[in-house]
Amino acid sequence: MNAFLRNMRVVARRDFLAIVATPTFLLFLLAPLFMLAMGLAGGTGAAQLADSARGAGRIVAIADSADIEALRAADARLRAAMPREPAVLVLRVASPAADPVAIAREKGSDTYAVMSGPLAAPRIVEREPGSSPGRYLVLLAAEVQRARAAGPLPPVAPRFESLSNGGNSIAAQQTLAFGAVFTIFLLTLLLAGQTVSSLAEEKGNKVIEILAAAVPLESVFLGKLLGMLGVAILFIAFWFALATGGGFLYALQADPAAIAAAGSAAGAAKPALMAAPATGWPFFLGISLAYFVMAFLLLGAAFLGVGAQAATVREIQMLSLPITIFQVGMFSLSAAAASAPGTGLAGFAQIFPFSSPFAMAARAATDDAVGVHLLALGWQAVWVALTVYFSVRLFRAGVLSSGWKFWKRKRA
Amino acid sequence: MTELAVEADGLTKYFDSFKAVDHVSLRVPAGSIYGVLGPNGAGKTTSLRMTLGIIDPDEGTSRLLGGHKPQAVRHRIGYLPEERGLYPGMKAREAIAFMGGLRGLDWSEGRRRAASFMTELGLDRVIDEKIRKMSKGMAQMVQLIGSIVHAPDLIVLDEPFSGLDPVNQERLEMLVRRERDRGATILFSTHVMAHAERLCDRLAIIARSQRRFEGTVDEARALLPMQVRYTPRDDADAAAALLPADAARRGDAWHFAIEDGDVEPLLARITASGHGVAGLSIARPALHDAFVHIVRQVDAGFDASPENDAIEEAAA
Repeated sequence: MNAFLRNMRVVARRDFLAIVATPTFLLFLLAPLFMLAMGLAGGTGAAQLADSARGAGRIVAIADSADIEALRAADARLRAAMPREPAVLVLRVASPAADPVAIAREKGSDTYAVMSGPLAAPRIVEREPGSSPGRYLVLLAAEVQRARAAGPLPPVAPRFESLSNGGNSIAAQQTLAFGAVFTIFLLTLLLAGQTVSSLAEEKGNKVIEILAAAVPLESVFLGKLLGMLGVAILFIAFWFALATGGGFLYALQADPAAIAAAGSAAGAAKPALMAAPATGWPFFLGISLAYFVMAFLLLGAAFLGVGAQAATVREIQMLSLPITIFQVGMFSLSAAAASAPGTGLAGFAQIFPFSSPFAMAARAATDDAVGVHLLALGWQAVWVALTVYFSVRLFRAGVLSSGWKFWKRKRA
Repeated sequence: MTELAVEADGLTKYFDSFKAVDHVSLRVPAGSIYGVLGPNGAGKTTSLRMTLGIIDPDEGTSRLLGGHKPQAVRHRIGYLPEERGLYPGMKAREAIAFMGGLRGLDWSEGRRRAASFMTELGLDRVIDEKIRKMSKGMAQMVQLIGSIVHAPDLIVLDEPFSGLDPVNQERLEMLVRRERDRGATILFSTHVMAHAERLCDRLAIIARSQRRFEGTVDEARALLPMQVRYTPRDDADAAAALLPADAARRGDAWHFAIEDGDVEPLLARITASGHGVAGLSIARPALHDAFVHIVRQVDAGFDASPENDAIEEAAA
């Protein structure tokens, strides 16, 4: 076993250095920058578009001059309580010339709804039937009527109390679960797919026979996986360090007073952290990393095995599509499971070996059981071993023409 | 009985319906240099691969270095495959250390030995050169060093001389002898008879998937009768009466084969005849002739049964 591990290390070391010690690796390492830049550009554009559109939206109330102030006051009271803030309310004094339909069609702004006529029986002209701006205008009319009928009401003096440790929001945990699935998926998509072509080099330059003669192929496969995993971890560590460093620098440049304020607010802001995973942050992050490693090894082993069957670069390119589809399939399964914890689907996704790392990471966010993760890691490790074993069998049969084919009986 | 470094018994391999290797047995005494000779496509490489456990035989077994399974003694074996291969981006020294590392040699020790081997073989200029910048012959020498850098007990070289210039061939022969003197067993395949004749203690000839001969170089040469070249001092035509009926005349000289027991009577006849001796050589044919003779015999047997050829071609 010791020799097996040593062989694995020799292969992993060679692969790791061969990948990392090249100028192209820098390009690979910085590739997310392009993604970030694109995302930033797209996001800024979209935000600007949304901003300009929001500024242009309005709702209009045409009322008697006596009602204008009451409407304005009602709008000020109700606006803050609406789940989504209504568009800007424009108030106009009623006149024979004010035609609601013409106002609704005025250029220069999006008019969602126009209210006219007496408050008891208002006429609502709206852009979409049954829209919330229309209902909001009706609500304003009703509020003005009610205030007028009841006279001045005694003021309500609310006392707000927040749940300082009121447990975790299920929705937030499910969001976290989805986030974990997505992050692990994205990282494996970016990194594990690389293993497809990693045996092509040895096949191309005939080194494979030296490897096959010198060490068990299992240790070659596992060594290659570990080498690629090393590259992946380096990639993640680089970006994690960059993010942490960036955050730290940002904190240093920020106003000290603001930091102090944030510090004092931290105690009060605890409820903001309601989005803590069920197993707690340290365990969740640790187990997520462990599941990433497992997802990488599992999918990487499968891809390595499939890629090993390919004889040419073109074949490898052809193989990358089904492989990506397979990955996306595992992602969809796990994402569906993450949003429905405790169901049969979630159970299936957690047990099925190739979606298990994703689904179990999601489970760590929503379920506080800890022991089950140990079981899952063991189960996944068994599948890594099985996948490598079968990949090696197939490889021996195909490339080294050893003749071992499980669908063929041995010659008598 | 001498200890055997390689005991391969009845190795058989099918590629689909074609029998690439047919019950080939190899018994290589420890500490010897053993050649596997054969024409192209005879099954040498497949036999060596099965012997080393790189591919599994359909029938037969292979035991190495005192009855061990090939996989169990990998670190004591050095192997130069027929299809040469190195990582082109690696430096020579690293490539050698990597190959040693695969066989259990410490990486830094591998780097050290790589430098001393390369210096010894006149490759000191390219110790830190990348493989892709080297000539094919140089790369081959690097790979050869890589396959013996861990001082293995059994060294298997598949066509080690092909692609090397005469100087490097000479160096390689020197290296092989030195490894044998160190105590290693060397098993190599070739179809160049000169190397085998100079190096091998024993050899096997494989043709058409089967082992057709096993023995020493002299035993192989003894398969053919000795060749006589006789030039009489006077009238060459008159001497014909002394010689066997199949003697052929080329220029002034007569050429014919002779059995071992007929040498002295022939000499007596020539001396007594008075034709004189302007030139006389009685020599065993070279290994080359023995090899060609064996292979031709096998081919003749196959040509007699055309259906075998048909099967072989269909399989190819």
